[in-house]
Amino acid sequence: MRKNSVAVLLVFLTLGLSLPVKAEEILVSAAASLTDVLNEIGKVYQSKTKNQATFNFGASSDLARQIDEGAPADIFFSADLAQLDNLDKKGRIETTTRKNLLSNQLVIVLPVDSKLALRSPRDLLQPEMKRIALAEPSTVPVGVYTKKYLESEGLWDGIKEKIVPVLNVRATLASVESGNVEAGFVYKTDAAISRKVRIAYEVPIAKGPKITYPVAVVKESKKKGAAREFLNFLATPEAKGLFEKYGFVVLR
Amino acid sequence: MISFSEATWNITLFSLGVALASTLTIFPFGIALSWFLARKRSRFNSFLETVALLPLVIPPVATGLILLKIFGRRSPLGGWLYERGVEILFNWKGVLVAMAVMSFPLLVRSARTSFAEVNPRLEQIAATLGASPLRIFFTVTIPLAWKGIVAGGLLAFSRALGEFGATIMVAGNIAGRTQTLSLAIFDFVQLGKDAEALGLMVITVILAFAGVGISEALVRPKGVA
Amino acid sequence: MLLRCRLPLVRFTLDIDVSLEAQVTAIFGPSGSGKTSLLDVIAGLRGISEGEIEVGGRTLLSSSRGINLSPQERGIGYVPQEAALFPHLSVRKNILFGSKRKRGSSPDGAINLDHVITLLEIHHLLERRVTHLSGGEIQRVALARAILSGPQLLLLDEPLASLDIGLKEKILPYLRRVRDEFAIPMIYVSHNPTEVLSLADWVIMIREGKVVTQGVPHDVLASRLFLSDLDEIEIENVFDTRLADSNAHAGRSRVLLKSGQELFIPYVDKPANSFLQVRIPGDDVLVATKRPEGISAGNVLAGKIESIETVDGQSILRVKAGETFIVRLTAGAVGGLRLTEGQEIFLVIKTRSCVVL
Repeated sequence: MRKNSVAVLLVFLTLGLSLPVKAEEILVSAAASLTDVLNEIGKVYQSKTKNQATFNFGASSDLARQIDEGAPADIFFSADLAQLDNLDKKGRIETTTRKNLLSNQLVIVLPVDSKLALRSPRDLLQPEMKRIALAEPSTVPVGVYTKKYLESEGLWDGIKEKIVPVLNVRATLASVESGNVEAGFVYKTDAAISRKVRIAYEVPIAKGPKITYPVAVVKESKKKGAAREFLNFLATPEAKGLFEKYGFVVLR
Repeated sequence: MISFSEATWNITLFSLGVALASTLTIFPFGIALSWFLARKRSRFNSFLETVALLPLVIPPVATGLILLKIFGRRSPLGGWLYERGVEILFNWKGVLVAMAVMSFPLLVRSARTSFAEVNPRLEQIAATLGASPLRIFFTVTIPLAWKGIVAGGLLAFSRALGEFGATIMVAGNIAGRTQTLSLAIFDFVQLGKDAEALGLMVITVILAFAGVGISEALVRPKGVA
Repeated sequence: MLLRCRLPLVRFTLDIDVSLEAQVTAIFGPSGSGKTSLLDVIAGLRGISEGEIEVGGRTLLSSSRGINLSPQERGIGYVPQEAALFPHLSVRKNILFGSKRKRGSSPDGAINLDHVITLLEIHHLLERRVTHLSGGEIQRVALARAILSGPQLLLLDEPLASLDIGLKEKILPYLRRVRDEFAIPMIYVSHNPTEVLSLADWVIMIREGKVVTQGVPHDVLASRLFLSDLDEIEIENVFDTRLADSNAHAGRSRVLLKSGQELFIPYVDKPANSFLQVRIPGDDVLVATKRPEGISAGNVLAGKIESIETVDGQSILRVKAGETFIVRLTAGAVGGLRLTEGQEIFLVIKTRSCVVL
């Protein structure tokens, strides 16, 4: 009994002593599409600063809700401007720290072994393009953006009969990989997930929808200093290089 | 094709540990409620039963949202806990809460059935032999119902391991802190890392198979192969 | 013992008010007449809003004084009809389950394990699992367990109902031994006349929750009220006898009834003066107006008709021939022979119709 107490005490002492020495750890709630790039940036950040960034990846809407209920995140990195705006209105984030950091690009993917040629979205009207996979165009952001884009190009009415609405980006990629559909719309960064699809067409940034990834420090964060420091790091050329490596467009 | 890394084992151990803690936590409450539902007739019965079974039928994400609201800093309970330095969200306690709530119905359903199958006459006779209600419960009721109770515990444990929707809402999906087998599988699948996902899936299937298999074997009527 | 209770059941209200002095009281009635409910009320397993129960001078329940002892405080041994034993415990653990109760409640405090085990002949069963017991063994073990809990009253709910005829006759002697060895009052629920006649000193007949008559067994079982329940009930005569002599060669034994009346029964290999209970079905007794001659039946008894009750074409005769015999005839036979109360007649009983219990 006494022995155990001593052991417990020792553990506490060790922890207690190591705390001031140990660098600060911040928690970043980030959109799932940022998983790979942020994991890599996190490693670089830790090796450079001894501070640690831990990530909570999920759907931007869920992350926003968690922060709204007081979940202990220090930074919110959203894939959707509306979610951050919403939190800002409720006073849940430090407005002055807001930055629109990244953008993404819509692309059309085909199975890697597809013999079909696609030089412009207009080619989707060809009869050989029987089915086109798209994340649910009424609710999922990428679906909503795609629909808007196709409408602006005057193509939506022509191909809407061919649209197979699916759950999300991953499901879009899976449909294309398997050849169940002839083509699909995803973000450029998502296309990198699969080696069994190829990017056939990139929607020019100027013509495509404005896709923005904003980031900000959470108002209730207890580690605002460390959080700001991490935000600054995201703007360094080193981080910028990594974002671009993963296919993101870095704004400004 | 299949990849088992050190992270795989850490995630597995974490999941097993929290699922076990969750099952042990709900055990006394589940047993007490099951017994009450099986033995006492009150007008609250159907209400209590419905509430306990609710997580089984409503979408896990909805349960997660409710839990988020209950344990978030802005709720009375969450605020009260927060002031005392207890934070449920975004750490293992959140995982435990989500697992506990989601697996509770399975324990209750199984245990209630096995309590109901204990002939109340035996408990009554024990009372005429001078046994107190507590002694009856531990020497007659529990020994006769133990199979269903353990089966329910195993089922709850397996459900806890498989829990996803509520966990991601309450505890987040934080590698090394709250990431369970299910969350990690989801992550890997989303990121197209099928080899890693497959490794975790193999482990999950083996654990689920063992848990559900033993549970079924316990409650299977004798003489049926 | 005082027993007064009112309990609304589904089809009728159980409404009993009796005072019992006998050691063994039989509650007799057709199935669904509220017998088991009554036992449950006495044992405290069923709550009632109105009633008084007093056993051995101790008040177990009094709605007027606000007393209601819980089952474990009542000191009542209950041998139920079904689910008698704890299936997860060995026979030994079963019979010791109630022995933790303090013995002060037992009337003489002298009930001892070995005595009970020997009396009920269950020694060889002690280490067995109860799932491997026969019906008769289960009843004996349940009885032992109830006795060993040191009860002030034993409740037996049709302990023989689930056994077949041959087994019943093997259990009855054990029940008689318990009655004779321990001074524990018993309430015995049954709808079998043989058991009632064999064990009880007093019979309470209930129907739809009400006492319709009570008295000593022979009187109650020959009463008109009893007749209306006859559909499922056999008319029985049960007599306590002593063995006079046996003749293996002739295949028969001679016994003496309490009144001194003698009776030939099938051969029994037992010493003279052995106690025997003999059962004679009421349908196996012939009535003759003149002494018959040249007849194979071993017993021809002279007697006098005490009463004739006729219901639905069946007649029950009470005939005093030393003891009181109960005989069932068709109403047609009674009319054809012009039998009347007070008439002198002869009872003819085959030796083989006399069964030793």
